[in-house]
Amino acid sequence: MWAPPMLLALSLNPPGASAANVEASLLSELSAVARSAPFHVGIRMKIRRGWHIYWKNPGDSGLPPRITWTLPKGFVAGPIEWPIPHRSAENDLMTYGYDRDVILPVRITPPRTLEGDSITIQGKLDWLECADVCVPGSTELRLSLAVSSGPAPPSPDAPALAAARARLPVSPEGWSFSAEAGPRAIALDFVPPKGIAPRGGYLFVDKPLVTEHAAPQGFERTGNGYRLTLLPAANAAGNLARLSGVLVIEDAGHFKNRIGVNLDVPVVPGDPAPAPVKTERPGWPILAYAALLGIAGLGLWIQLYRARRKHSNTNR
Amino acid sequence: MNRIATVACILLLAPSLTAHAAAIVGSSAPPLELRDADGKTVRLDAYKGKFVVLEWVNRQCPFVRKHYGSGNMQALQKRYTEKGVVWLSVCSSAPGKQGYVKGPEAKEWMAEEKAAPTDFLLDPKGKVGKAYGAKTTPHLFVIDPKGKVVYNGAIDDKPSTNREDIETARNYLSAALDASMAGKKVEVAATQPYGCSVKY
Repeated sequence: MWAPPMLLALSLNPPGASAANVEASLLSELSAVARSAPFHVGIRMKIRRGWHIYWKNPGDSGLPPRITWTLPKGFVAGPIEWPIPHRSAENDLMTYGYDRDVILPVRITPPRTLEGDSITIQGKLDWLECADVCVPGSTELRLSLAVSSGPAPPSPDAPALAAARARLPVSPEGWSFSAEAGPRAIALDFVPPKGIAPRGGYLFVDKPLVTEHAAPQGFERTGNGYRLTLLPAANAAGNLARLSGVLVIEDAGHFKNRIGVNLDVPVVPGDPAPAPVKTERPGWPILAYAALLGIAGLGLWIQLYRARRKHSNTNR
Repeated sequence: MNRIATVACILLLAPSLTAHAAAIVGSSAPPLELRDADGKTVRLDAYKGKFVVLEWVNRQCPFVRKHYGSGNMQALQKRYTEKGVVWLSVCSSAPGKQGYVKGPEAKEWMAEEKAAPTDFLLDPKGKVGKAYGAKTTPHLFVIDPKGKVVYNGAIDDKPSTNREDIETARNYLSAALDASMAGKKVEVAATQPYGCSVKY
């Protein structure tokens, strides 16, 4: 309260950070609202390259975006539906979040009766944006929609919102999970539904003080499925009754396909072995990439060689 | 491209990540030997018999600004050092990274802020920060007179950069100090710290 004004300014604008690296807006899948017809809105966050925001469990540092809604009477907003996050490792620390533009869907349920011609959905969004430094961001979001007596047509933003919802983790139907934890490791055994052939996996644990986020996770085939091995957090004691989060699988059948599955399973006490030393193994995409680079390099070399010959010919 | 870089990073980092040091609640605190802002060597075992608070700091981090700009951190420092607690502020920012300070700058900043720790320690190589598993600024540890860790985590239960939250927050650090100084068990002994990442 007695901070000099200069320091206040410093706190809002640390060196190397400009004011806004994230631009937030609110969009709707429908062009109007109808009574009792739930629909989705999306919090769109456009993120400047090099910056990131956080998932619901940010990992070792950071904060997830938070929204405080101001809704018309009778309207109810659901929780933020978090898209599959990405990992960002830096200096022995690991964070979970988004470093590209992202839409966070939220389900809105209108009441049984609607008054007036239009309604306005408002929310105060707070977030933390980080590159090598962090800046808090805050904005008021606002969206006005007409009230419709019948089913409302989709808005121009409907495809973007549908695509965002398609990237949400799915329910674990068809999967089977079991978890065991001891002083050295947490093991998650799983069997995917038929047709999914994981070549890698990672569990984004959604609770704090369960796992060391920065520790590599082991991935291996077992008799009838797969096993992920995680390192328990230094102070995990008391937090290992259940294991929950999003299991992300890289599927051999689909190039670059990431499947995210929500899970929340009880943990059996035991003493599983620590993660095998060899962890994530680059699959064929990295080999294909290396090959492409090689071909491109060879092409470039041939071009340069020709150009040089031509050059030396004209010089002669 | 990004994913390939990630995979490559993980493969490169994997060996360095396998060793995990940390301050485990109920266990002995990792050793600490650092230079303070005056260049004097400070060792944790010199403070055996006293309660010690370790506070990770980065003067430019907005979360640290929340607690210094409001005067909250200085008030805690004053309240507990007056009761005989040793309060060590530690900066693990590497040279060139946000929050990195040399001794004179650290002293200048402390004077500006009217900060009142027992000492300000410089950890530019991050050795002590990594040994304790310090992840954020702020990140707080309480060590009892026997040298055991009795608290590891956040300053309070309102992870935000808003100063207004301090008033309504439950302060984990003072709860841990009050309980253990009264010979009672610390109710919440481990929490997820919140803040900027430590700039190792």
